[in-house]
Amino acid sequence: MHDENKTGGDFDRRDFLKITGAAGLAAVLARPQPTWAASEAPIKIGMVDPITSTFAALGHSEIKGAKFAEAEINKAGGIMGRPLQVLVEDSAGNPGTAVDKSSRLVSQDKVDFLMGTVNSAASLAVSQFAAQHNKLFLCTGGHVDSLTGKECKSTTFRTCSTTWMLTAGDFEAISSKFGKKWYFLTTDYAFGQSEQADYTTQLKKVGGTVVGGALAPVGTTDFSSYLIDVKAKAPQVLCLLLAGNDQVNAMKQIAQFGINKDIAVAGALIELEQLQSLPETARYGWWTMEWYWNQPKTPHVADFVKRFAAANKGEYPTARVWFGYASTYALKLAAEKAKSTETAKVVKAMEGLMLPPEIALQPGNVFYRPQDHQLMLGMFPGHVNPTGKYPSLFDVTEIVPGEKIALPPSETGCMLPRA
Amino acid sequence: MNIVLIFNLFNGLITGAFYALLALGLALILGLNNTINFAQGAFMALAAYFAYTLAPTVGFWGALLIAPVLAGVLGLVVEVFLIRRLYKRDPLYSLLLTFGLAMIMQDMIRTIWGATGVPLLIPESLGHPLSQTYFFLTGYRLFVVAVALVGTGALFAVLRFTRLGIRIRAGNADLETVSALGVNIYLLRTANFVIGIIFAGVAGILAAGQLGLDPTMGDSLLMPAFVAIVVGGVGSLLGSLMGGLLIGVASGVTTAFFPSASEAVIYLIMGLMLVVRPRGLMGQEGLLE
Repeated sequence: MHDENKTGGDFDRRDFLKITGAAGLAAVLARPQPTWAASEAPIKIGMVDPITSTFAALGHSEIKGAKFAEAEINKAGGIMGRPLQVLVEDSAGNPGTAVDKSSRLVSQDKVDFLMGTVNSAASLAVSQFAAQHNKLFLCTGGHVDSLTGKECKSTTFRTCSTTWMLTAGDFEAISSKFGKKWYFLTTDYAFGQSEQADYTTQLKKVGGTVVGGALAPVGTTDFSSYLIDVKAKAPQVLCLLLAGNDQVNAMKQIAQFGINKDIAVAGALIELEQLQSLPETARYGWWTMEWYWNQPKTPHVADFVKRFAAANKGEYPTARVWFGYASTYALKLAAEKAKSTETAKVVKAMEGLMLPPEIALQPGNVFYRPQDHQLMLGMFPGHVNPTGKYPSLFDVTEIVPGEKIALPPSETGCMLPRA
Repeated sequence: MNIVLIFNLFNGLITGAFYALLALGLALILGLNNTINFAQGAFMALAAYFAYTLAPTVGFWGALLIAPVLAGVLGLVVEVFLIRRLYKRDPLYSLLLTFGLAMIMQDMIRTIWGATGVPLLIPESLGHPLSQTYFFLTGYRLFVVAVALVGTGALFAVLRFTRLGIRIRAGNADLETVSALGVNIYLLRTANFVIGIIFAGVAGILAAGQLGLDPTMGDSLLMPAFVAIVVGGVGSLLGSLMGGLLIGVASGVTTAFFPSASEAVIYLIMGLMLVVRPRGLMGQEGLLE
């Protein structure tokens, strides 16, 4: 029985190999001829992002943005006449895996730069790895303050905002509109804790009170028992600082329990990906977006949205898409400015690098601050559009320039060796 | 303070019934197919995605009936072509098989429906609290509890009083003798597996009504189901129900005092149970040895 099965299996496998082999060959032959001279070695960006796990939706968006930029850059002649290659590896949102994959990208694929990460824990781990191996790491999407604060590294830059910027973006609007008695429901890891600390600091400054709070483990599905405590403490604002799918779970249950009818629900970060996965009845609250596709007054944005949608089956770009897109372009611009891919030279070129309007895709000065390597991107506070249909799920009330709300470099705790 | 505690007790029972529902199909498959089905969570997610696709045409209730059957058909294929070949081997083989299957199915979902979650609408009438004070009692949650109780009861009755049930139980006890008596055990096991997957489908759809539906949903549902089975006792459906209720209440009450341990506590209970009473609350001695 055993042997019989084995013979049968062999046949199948061989057929399978034949078919896939033929398909692979066809794919290679069908590929459009590159316009590069064969001698031009590509400039490689190693991108470590979650393709699987609870952060997958956000990871996929960042990768789409980076791949879109890669295609545009190569179509326009590459970087310094060399083609650009973005190599993607799955971190599964796990810091250990993220470091393993970074290590593979550096040692085997010989990438010039590292980029990526969605969750803060993975960002911190890759940042440390990159510093040890003298590679430039451009963090696309991990928000924890310390990455460009106490644990900043001369080789690490960040495109997405700090949690401080996220919380400062909408704190005033929320507290003046709904009140200063807050309850925090926070995800129990670096990102959430950092957000909560930042909000608490700002709340104390204006004489507000924290009436309660709970740390929910990552991956919590059932929030009912947390909500019982929320209801008992009767805050004016329920500040929801959860990430990924946890936020979706909580928002659905809050709506079904009718809690958002009595208590204002607000928080720092909301992503278009999360709003997309919520039914209409569970879309509510005051939040901050880090980038939004609907900016009628900003030049180049509508055009970018159109180009991206055309290349992605009508999908609208999210903030995560923009992170991937802007980060890829930032590395291109820095390498061209440095006329090199050497880490030290590109780091120097990245410091103070101003993103041009067609890449920044928002008003104001958007640049990598030299003191802590943090991008000064704008915040888009606003509220969920309760009757909106995709993609009009959010109303931005104002665009707050990053320069205005980021902690001054002297207060971030970042001490980079100055050249 | 006390009212919060009482609320949490009741609420824990509701959550626990939900866990028990998740555990039901898994317990069935573990019992007769002798398979630790790691793909159970993926089947839950898949059925929920089927329901999401079907709901606009057949409505929520129609989808709740049809989608689990579709998942059951896929379960049939998986059992006949894959799992059946491994019955004679160590259970580790089928565990590895279903583990791989779970990953393949998750990626399949991601390829077809995208990595971003999708909203599954529940009937408007169920999505509200029944009273202002007992706001955690929604029509939907009571419905889930009812399905869990009726499901457990019906399965229990089938296993106890019907010919099929008697054969399944006999198969649990001594497969070779049952087979020697002329019962087609392959058919029996296939039927059992499919029923288990259909239950997974129902549980998955009901879960997606109150949780976010994304490709990884199954992962977060699988663990409480396993814990409920281990605590309740392998081989006992009633035990799985008790196990589910126990961890639901424990987790709920812990949240009231020390929320960050709300997840750890269910594993703590499982650990304690394995040390003190390895067969679980109502399990048979030495079933998996």
